Amino acid sequence: MGEPARYLYAVCRGLAPSALDGVRGLDGGRLEVLGVLDLEAVVSTVDLDEFGEDGLRANLERLDWVERTARGHDAVVQACAGAAPTAPMRLATVCLDDESVRLRLQEHYPDLAEALGRIEGRKEWSVKVYEHPSAQEEPEAAEPAALGGAAYLRRKKSAAVERRVAREQATAAADAVDRELCGLAVAARHLRPQDPRLAGFGGTMLLNGAYLVDDVSTRSFTGRVAELVAAFPDVSIACDGPWPPYSFATLEGP
Amino acid sequence: MTVAAEERTYADIALVDLLDRLIGTGVVLAGDIVISMSGIDLVQISLRALITSVRREMTEAWEES
Repeated sequence: MGEPARYLYAVCRGLAPSALDGVRGLDGGRLEVLGVLDLEAVVSTVDLDEFGEDGLRANLERLDWVERTARGHDAVVQACAGAAPTAPMRLATVCLDDESVRLRLQEHYPDLAEALGRIEGRKEWSVKVYEHPSAQEEPEAAEPAALGGAAYLRRKKSAAVERRVAREQATAAADAVDRELCGLAVAARHLRPQDPRLAGFGGTMLLNGAYLVDDVSTRSFTGRVAELVAAFPDVSIACDGPWPPYSFATLEGP
Repeated sequence: MTVAAEERTYADIALVDLLDRLIGTGVVLAGDIVISMSGIDLVQISLRALITSVRREMTEAWEES
């Protein structure tokens, strides 16, 4: 066992302690709430062998550790966000003791309070738009042997033109989807499109959008997404949520 | 199309979507433990772990087939 430290999951406002009943922290740690003014920091104890600088650097290279930690962190954040306005911390925010956690909340109090005000009564929705995988397939390499060089080049060129047109149409559809959803959301952010190897989908991701939506507008937002799916058959649209407001409870403003 | 149900089990969330948010966004309050790399590097090393793992799976699948 190394030295103990405090892992900070989230900062909330008005979190009832009972909201965390039955929820455990990383490595099964007990969750505790530290009050600072009208805010609450949700923490648990972790081991510096695992979460110190050297430990983190090594562990972040291990996918099983990253996954377990990310899911454990998110489970706590979801429990908080279900009960009170919640600003989730970035993965692996570690302080040496409670005093250090409190100091940070005091130091950033105005920004944290503003962030919590921005997301209260709202949730984050993810909408991703992909180009269909078929649109980017290379034309079949097997060309009839009789085909001359010029004909081959012509065919190759026209296939390239088709692919470019398909990409332009898909990009225009993604832009239209984004514009529509921005109109229904309080705020929007574009996350970096995911690598197709990681996204589990063959097509290129054209939009990785995060939208902050008023709770009262949830139905109109998801309903509009369903209409957009029907309106733009040339792209694939995936909607997922609600998320805790990871992309919007940021200190620098979304 | 997966127009989401209101409730979902957290095991359903793709890890890559989670890391988009847990590393790519979220409140950045520098703790006492600061990996002496920038936030961007934090993203990169985690993604490297993901990509390496995906490649390994693909290689294994290839070798098995």
